[in-house]
Amino acid sequence: MSDNDKPTPPVEGSKRKHVYDGIEEFNKRLPNWWLFTLYITIAFSIGYWFYYAQSGLPEGDGERVEAEIARIQTAKLTSDLVIADASLWEMSQNEAFISSGKETYNSLCAACHLPSLKGKSESPAAIGPDLTDDEWVHGSEPLALYKVVDEGILAKGMPPWGPTLGVQKTAEVVAYVLSYHEAP
Amino acid sequence: MSARNITIEYNDKVVRQFMIASIIWGAVGMLVGVLIASQLNFFQLNFNTSFLTYGRLRPLHTNAVIFALVGNMMFAGVYYSTQRLVKARLASDFLSSLHFWGWQAIILSAAITLPLGLTRGKEYAELIWPINIAVALIWVVFAVNFFWTLARRHERSLYVAIWFYIATIITIAILYIVNHLSIPTGMLHSYGLFAGVQDGLVQWWYGHNAVAFFLTTPILGIMYYFLPKAANRPVYSYKLSVIHFWSLVFVYIWAGPHHLLNTALPNWLQMLGMTFSLMLWAPSWGGMLNGLFTLRGAWSKLRTDPVIKFFAAGVTFYGMATFEGPLLSIKSVNALGHYTDWIIGHVHAGALGWNGFMAAGMFYFLVPKLWNKPLYSQALANLHFWLGLFGILIYVAAMWTSGITQGLMLNSTTEGGTLLTYPNFLDTLNTIRPLMLLRVVGGGLYFVGWLLMAYNIVKSLKGAQAVNGTMEVVVEDDVPEEERPLGPIVTVLNPPVIFSTVGTIFTCVWLFGGPFLQIVGAIGTALCVILAWVHFESKGKRWAAWYERLLVSAAPFTVLTLVAVLIGGLVQIIPGIVSHQAANVEDRLQIPYTPLELAGRDIYVAEGCYNCHSQMIRTLVPDVMRYGDYSRLGESIYDRPYQWGSRRTGPDLARIGGKYNDTWHYNHTLRPRDISVGSNMPNYPWLNENATDVAALESKINVQRMLGVPYDEMTAEEIQASVDAQANEIVERLKVDGIYVAPDKQIIALIAYLQQLGNYQEVTPAMASR
Repeated sequence: MSDNDKPTPPVEGSKRKHVYDGIEEFNKRLPNWWLFTLYITIAFSIGYWFYYAQSGLPEGDGERVEAEIARIQTAKLTSDLVIADASLWEMSQNEAFISSGKETYNSLCAACHLPSLKGKSESPAAIGPDLTDDEWVHGSEPLALYKVVDEGILAKGMPPWGPTLGVQKTAEVVAYVLSYHEAP
Repeated sequence: MSARNITIEYNDKVVRQFMIASIIWGAVGMLVGVLIASQLNFFQLNFNTSFLTYGRLRPLHTNAVIFALVGNMMFAGVYYSTQRLVKARLASDFLSSLHFWGWQAIILSAAITLPLGLTRGKEYAELIWPINIAVALIWVVFAVNFFWTLARRHERSLYVAIWFYIATIITIAILYIVNHLSIPTGMLHSYGLFAGVQDGLVQWWYGHNAVAFFLTTPILGIMYYFLPKAANRPVYSYKLSVIHFWSLVFVYIWAGPHHLLNTALPNWLQMLGMTFSLMLWAPSWGGMLNGLFTLRGAWSKLRTDPVIKFFAAGVTFYGMATFEGPLLSIKSVNALGHYTDWIIGHVHAGALGWNGFMAAGMFYFLVPKLWNKPLYSQALANLHFWLGLFGILIYVAAMWTSGITQGLMLNSTTEGGTLLTYPNFLDTLNTIRPLMLLRVVGGGLYFVGWLLMAYNIVKSLKGAQAVNGTMEVVVEDDVPEEERPLGPIVTVLNPPVIFSTVGTIFTCVWLFGGPFLQIVGAIGTALCVILAWVHFESKGKRWAAWYERLLVSAAPFTVLTLVAVLIGGLVQIIPGIVSHQAANVEDRLQIPYTPLELAGRDIYVAEGCYNCHSQMIRTLVPDVMRYGDYSRLGESIYDRPYQWGSRRTGPDLARIGGKYNDTWHYNHTLRPRDISVGSNMPNYPWLNENATDVAALESKINVQRMLGVPYDEMTAEEIQASVDAQANEIVERLKVDGIYVAPDKQIIALIAYLQQLGNYQEVTPAMASR
């Protein structure tokens, strides 16, 4: 290869004697930082394998998740929110409950019951029934309504929202729906 | 010693053909990419048409870019450089031609079958079995042509580029064949040999190493030839070449399970996947260093020469992607990044930045050589570079932001960790919408750059004369002692091979042995490393001399490469095959599908639902809170193909069964936005019109039974009766809600399938002992 047309490169280490189609190869030593990277990843892997596979110390992924989920269940049960007919009616007159209930309703419930809450009586294509009239398919008491939202009515296409929403948000949604009705 | 001069004319015709094919198919692949990226933003672009729907086009995009753009580019580069590096014309013009036209026919058949929904349902392995056979045959043609050329070489010593080509050819052959083993149920459909967790493991052993040995090693070889040529500089370090080649081919194979972290895959495999990915970091960067340091002394050309620009940027993106890969393989990072756009950004940094830019650099380098005419416009090539670079940066930055944002939102909890902050999946999707739009802009810019290159090259070729390279070769009849190939004994019985083999065996004993064997293995490994070190320090020259001899021995070199790549695969896959039977499932066992559900599942696979929906609830608290109890490996043990997925554009479906009623699924499949406001899922109106293929079920169930799924023998009539009974139940339930649909429609089968997802039976001691 002719290098005449460019400045002479600085003197470098030895080249291999073999030249392939004009391509030469230096035989330089490996950069230290590169070698350290290699050694550190190997050392880490050995330690990782020893700790997780052979020491018997850490618990398995499944056990870890199950323990954490159990803790969450307990925390939910001990939540101090009181769910009763009277308290739900009370919430249905509380602005904070109504407005956050409305937010959840619009994001999750409106798809089937429509933003107007009128469901099937507004549009036959809607999946959920009217929530504003006085006809209750599964009981008219607030607790019954709460139970429907919490546990769902699978046969009718109502999913159980309790597991995703939790007590607080379920109560808010129920309060929002009840706000369309007269408290006794 | 007698010597004579001969003149060789290279077969550059096939190089030109592959190069042009790569440019054309590359444009098609990118066009489809821009379209499907737009579909994610505007569902209307699915046009309510089956063959234009995302789930069918996304495999077309990935296959086109991998096998058509990079495949053709790789063949062009391999054929051009190999002829010159070994000083021999390609062995057979016929095989070269067959290779080219065969490969194009395969691409064309893929472009027809994938939109028709004919698929095996595994990523980058979607093509149906007749095409699989064609791919394997054409790959053999490539291999024969290549190795035959090596056999006729006049340059005895093999340059580093050739090492990478050898590794590519043998490894892809193995990966492709094993992952495509299947039993046909008809001319266009088959079930894979492996199922469930085993299918997932084999799939990502293949998928990950397709990235390694299709998108990386051949392109590294191409880099080792074209980059020093273009820069007119010697390669930085031969020593680095040796170390990074062998460590790369050995380590890469082990890293596949990092695609299945935190899933139901047994933990030891997840750990191997993670640790070997970390150990892969340095070997990968060895290639980048040898590329970038070779440019030292030629950096001035970076300002003027578009070829060097593309190569320098390409190698830099390679370094970036191979740093990101190990990072994403760390289990806790993966918990955030997996199933999000972060992965999409990662692969595009590789595909656009590394593969696309190396391709462009190589093409700009080749045009003047192959057509004996300077490039039409350097300025256009520079513009291509800047458009492409900005395109990638926008794309990748958008995807990083999108992936991390969605990952954080999905994993975020509130109220003391007891509730998900965003219980509605769509909230997370709609947050990343602007970023998904930005990705269209980035990808679009890159595509425009590619078209500029096509235009530039077309203009360059106008009126140009195709020329084939020639070379004067001195043929020596007497081969000196040090250039004679190694015999089989010296190939195996020499310090480097002995130390590597014994060390690997001891390491495996340490990894997998019982309490006592572990200690033996650990001590043996340590001793082996120390002895090898001591021996190398004192007798290093003998190691080097042996390696020089290995370089003139193509067959022994190939065999040793084969052994190096086989080890990881064997260690990971064999135990699964032996122990994968349902009897070994710990607690839960899948209930085999009813005939209607099986038909519905095949519709799910054909529509490519897995491109957006996973069926794998990971052992992560937010996953369990959102989707239910984590998935056990027994719950998908009969699934062919497994459908764990790799990206959640929509929510996980592992436990969707029974969560909503049939009416919900009916409406949601036909018009997703009626129920899920803001969803980007396509409408599937044709599922309400097309009939389920019940006739195919007999042979499908027979194949499943042959493969070990506990089906009772069923006649065609019994299958039909079972299908009718189950379909009618669904039809009756829909009727109650005022929906009238014939029981033979595909949507009924799909609902039947979706509604049983998450069903399982508890494993009893009696079953376990069977």
